Amino acid sequence: MRFLVRPSVRPRSRAPVRMFMAFAALALAGWVLQRVREGGLVPSEVEACYLGVPGGAPLGAAALWEEVHVGAFVHGFTLFMLGSLLVVSPVRDRVRRALLVTAAAAALCDLFAPFAVIALGGWGGIRVATFVAAALSSATLLVVVAVRFGSEVVGASPG
Amino acid sequence: MRAPADPRIVRHRLPALTFAVFLLVIAASSAVVFALELGATVGHVAAHYRGGGFARAKTLDGLLLVAVPHLAAMPIVLFAAAHVVGWARAVSRRGYRALLGVSFGGAALSIACPFLIRYVAPTAAWLHLAAFLGLEAALLAWSALLGAVFVPWRSRVRTRTPAPSRLPHAGRVAVAVARRWRTGFRPRQERPQPGSGEHPST
Repeated sequence: MRFLVRPSVRPRSRAPVRMFMAFAALALAGWVLQRVREGGLVPSEVEACYLGVPGGAPLGAAALWEEVHVGAFVHGFTLFMLGSLLVVSPVRDRVRRALLVTAAAAALCDLFAPFAVIALGGWGGIRVATFVAAALSSATLLVVVAVRFGSEVVGASPG
Repeated sequence: MRAPADPRIVRHRLPALTFAVFLLVIAASSAVVFALELGATVGHVAAHYRGGGFARAKTLDGLLLVAVPHLAAMPIVLFAAAHVVGWARAVSRRGYRALLGVSFGGAALSIACPFLIRYVAPTAAWLHLAAFLGLEAALLAWSALLGAVFVPWRSRVRTRTPAPSRLPHAGRVAVAVARRWRTGFRPRQERPQPGSGEHPST
């Protein structure tokens, strides 16, 4: 990883970083498509997924926590990689901070939104909102890294 | 007196802290899922895999369904955490190696134990519990170390640098001569430059 972010070898690191970005973009697109097809943009379908049929039992705690477990790995690792690449890209500090904090906060909210839906006995719109926020913020972060990484050598010390 | 913040560390603060937060979520969710699905006692863990009561024994397909994604995910997460902590020299070499051993050993055993419990001996549930607890402790330790190095109010704390030699100058010269003696005083070979015709890539 240090190889990828060392300024002296930045030209050589562009190709593998671009490949990683391509896969990250595909993963994001796949995640969004999957969620949309499962009804992630419709509050009533979100509620049906987590609360079950009216009068029935909501989704179990183990299933909810498993979703959090898988999501935390995927979001955590992807954001860590994108954030590390952003650090060595010529982007203003404020912009960099805003992009990463927004994406991380949105991802965390999206991971835990199902608990809110179950606790409130409805409000599927919460999960819709967190999903849209997580998808948009991650996509913005990805685009900024893809465009800015390697576009010029910044004054980063060899890491 | 405190040393000035290492600019390399300051630059990577946000991604590292983000990763630390997600590491904590991974550890917490893993603990909850373990407790809810397997139970917190050796008997429950063994029954989860071998069946008993109303539960069916796990099939090989069921075990592989859990093991294969973890075989890919766990080393990646541990490698990333270890890489950043090692780079920041946040812990002594011995502590670092111990933590690496607990982390990767715990991960390997956590993946292997379900198969051992199901097909070899139910007593491997003890090992599974121990491995899981070790791995959880290691994840918490990596998160804590990332926090200790990268949290803003702690970033001015000096990170570890290699200890200077305690030998006097004459001693250091003697050690260097002894090393060269063992290698037969061979002159250093010049590395072939790329494009010179001697470089392997040309």
